[in-house]
Amino acid sequence: MANPAQLEKEMTEHEQKQEWWWVAEKKRSKRLDYLRKAVWKKGALGGNYAPGIKLDLEMPTLFTNMWRFWKFDPVMLRRAKALAHVLDNISIFITDQAQLVGYMGSLPHTILWRMDGASMVNEEVYNEPGIHEEPEEESLKKVAELNEYWAGQTAIDKVARILDPEDAVKFMSGAIGWGAPSSAYGYSNKNYEYFMTGERGFEGILQEIDRAIEMAEEKTIGVPGPEILSLYDRIQNWEAMKIVMEAAIRFANRYARLARIIAENLESDPKRKEELLRLAETCERVPAKPPRNLQESLQYDFFVQIIARLEASEGAWPSRPDYYHGPYFDRDVNVEKNITREEALDLIGEFMIRTYEVGGFGPRWAREGLQGITGTWVWTIGGVKPDGSDACNDMTIALMQAARLVRVANPTLSFRWHPQVKEEVMRECFECIRQGLGYPNIRHDPIMVANAMHWHGHPIEEARLWVNQACMSPCPPTKHGQQPMRMASATANCAKIIEYALHNGHGHVVNMQMGPKTGDARAFTDFEQLFDAWVKQMEWLFSLLVRTVNLGRYKDPEFYGRPFLSAVSERSVESGLDICSPEGERGNCWITAFTWVENADGLAAVKKLVFDDKKYTMDQLVTALEANWEGHEEMRLDFVRNAPKWGNDDDYVDDVMLRCLRECARFSRELRCPSGNSWPILPENVSGNIHYANIVGALPNGRRLGDALYDGGISPGPGLDKKGPTAVLKSCGKIDHVTDGRAFLLNQRLSPTQLAGEAGYQLWKAYMRTWADLGIDHVQFNVVSDETLRSAQRDPEQYAELIVRVAGYSAHFVDISRKTQDNIIQRTVQGIG
Amino acid sequence: MATCKECKNFFPGVRGDCVRRVVDPRQAYHKAKPVEADRDAGDCPDFQRKS
Repeated sequence: MANPAQLEKEMTEHEQKQEWWWVAEKKRSKRLDYLRKAVWKKGALGGNYAPGIKLDLEMPTLFTNMWRFWKFDPVMLRRAKALAHVLDNISIFITDQAQLVGYMGSLPHTILWRMDGASMVNEEVYNEPGIHEEPEEESLKKVAELNEYWAGQTAIDKVARILDPEDAVKFMSGAIGWGAPSSAYGYSNKNYEYFMTGERGFEGILQEIDRAIEMAEEKTIGVPGPEILSLYDRIQNWEAMKIVMEAAIRFANRYARLARIIAENLESDPKRKEELLRLAETCERVPAKPPRNLQESLQYDFFVQIIARLEASEGAWPSRPDYYHGPYFDRDVNVEKNITREEALDLIGEFMIRTYEVGGFGPRWAREGLQGITGTWVWTIGGVKPDGSDACNDMTIALMQAARLVRVANPTLSFRWHPQVKEEVMRECFECIRQGLGYPNIRHDPIMVANAMHWHGHPIEEARLWVNQACMSPCPPTKHGQQPMRMASATANCAKIIEYALHNGHGHVVNMQMGPKTGDARAFTDFEQLFDAWVKQMEWLFSLLVRTVNLGRYKDPEFYGRPFLSAVSERSVESGLDICSPEGERGNCWITAFTWVENADGLAAVKKLVFDDKKYTMDQLVTALEANWEGHEEMRLDFVRNAPKWGNDDDYVDDVMLRCLRECARFSRELRCPSGNSWPILPENVSGNIHYANIVGALPNGRRLGDALYDGGISPGPGLDKKGPTAVLKSCGKIDHVTDGRAFLLNQRLSPTQLAGEAGYQLWKAYMRTWADLGIDHVQFNVVSDETLRSAQRDPEQYAELIVRVAGYSAHFVDISRKTQDNIIQRTVQGIG
Repeated sequence: MATCKECKNFFPGVRGDCVRRVVDPRQAYHKAKPVEADRDAGDCPDFQRKS
């Protein structure tokens, strides 16, 4: 083992070379090092699962057996009984050195299969190579049997049967959106203000449910009237909630029993025995009762997350860990000194590792769109309390320190910046960014609070509690603010808007009439005609997606049912309704706008080169686009180089961007969710810019079919922002980040050399001041040099832990496709100061 | 006929558990699976009779 001086020397060398992953490995405890390396990575490499990752068949088999048995029960009760059977019988495990437990599969290397979600996905499961346990033939036989049973009765099969056939065909073409309109594949915000405040554990919730049932039953034997009729269904829903809450407590007790068995029979190390007994005590306490310390608080939260993921395939992890766990951290570490800060960092680091470990089977389009990860686990930290005072605490800092030690790509952190944030917290943010994590992203809290109030009418005290519901959209975790189900199928491939506007609604790639016929663009004589066509295509696209999602949401309690999520949600415990029922929800919808900036750059290019400069005719342009620019290279380069591009503080194109956004904002108010609220847009991309590369045809910004699209949100096209970081910020600052949309993703690359030392921090701080003054709601950074990224392409094994910011998430660089890697390298490295 | 309760991996309780030590290429762990005490363990590859 290296002596301290040698270790220090090695660390300094690694720091100088920006090899932060080696620094982390040397700095973290032996426990964290073991647990970090123990993780079976579930995120797909490019689009494929890593060797050794296998499909879990225990959960689907247990669930299906019980589901078939209770075939006469209503859906929520039936799901509750099937889920309880899983919780009582699925294999559980405790990893050596672990102090936190819980996983969605039966073994650490397995991925969960949501077999009741969509038959189409089930077929992919069957055909996916490499993921079936040996003997493969036997595993495939089981998969086939399960597929045969679920065919036609999954949640999506049920939605598809009632969807308008034309909408269904267009949606299923894969050209205009993605996702699945069911809570089987949603992003559920949790009602943390109900179950995570320390006031109640599951036993307390069970008591509340019992009281509700008692009151309802009293009414059902009283004077008859229409008001009691819905109570019969509600009583069954409450029973369903009870079944899963009781099973959840038993599930935790199974871990407690296993920990005791190991401690008392199989473990010889006295220190580990003590840890196992503490783990047993933890699992006997939570989630039955409210937590008393940091370990219990983290474990309680983790049980909720795992059980929710056994109930449905959740694609996001809305959370605010410093706010809800911070008081326990403070009590344990600073007040009562029950544990040291290092011990607390071990717990928090493990909490992140346990989260990183979570993964389910995703269809290929999802794996390509979320390369390297299995969902967008974006945890929200910082921000303010309901009274507006600073909510940052010691755990805010500890989370960022732990993040640098474990360097996981999932979860990532999202920091709610506001003017009262203390210097020490900002320095922690900077240190994470400087060390190349790609997170935290920085959110402008006053803007986001105002945004949550503007679009959905959340009262200020609730808006101030917001968490990211997925990558970026704020949502209060409160009784009426919590959105239990947001579906990725309200994700629009927006580059199609300009494509269809230029081709009379015809999709050349799928060769069918997709959008409305808005006129032959060859005959357009001025820009306004093109813009009118663009508006109509936008309205059509958004309407189709929102119709699909609204229907899925409205029918979800009938087609799917969420007994567990309902049981941890105050308004369901109070009302007896499935939490996915819109009743009592304020509404918090948004349309994710993938491939957005191509519209501004494309429209501006046509305006400038065709209508203003009259350098080309519309006929020439449409002909060139139809030919995918082939045979028109000189003209294409003119559109790339000589048309104004977003991100250069150029009013010509920036005004086009604002016009587009404001048309969307106007229409967002016309689109209504099942609660009657608005659908603002949120430009961002994950890695959809790569997924859609072969789906979006040639565009007037000079892009060809097959070229990667821009990296998303309001980020300028890679290499097209030529006037420096301030010009980028000024362009972005022209957008009203409260009223023009839900949120706007901005990727920036900064030079690691420039950010070194105190001077680097001061430069970054000055940059952030400009960002804040301009009222921009989001920014995230990649601080990795081209040299490092290219070295990682050449020698991936040496750079296995190198992390980059892709879009709304981070990933290990070696886990993303070559095309995505190249796209990140192409982003402009901004020199600041 | 060998039954689960005769195996050293079996731990009795309200329901019994088969507890096994597993070492995979990345980590070592203990796993537990509920089993009935009188279940036939004749075809279980991990059966180890209690001494």
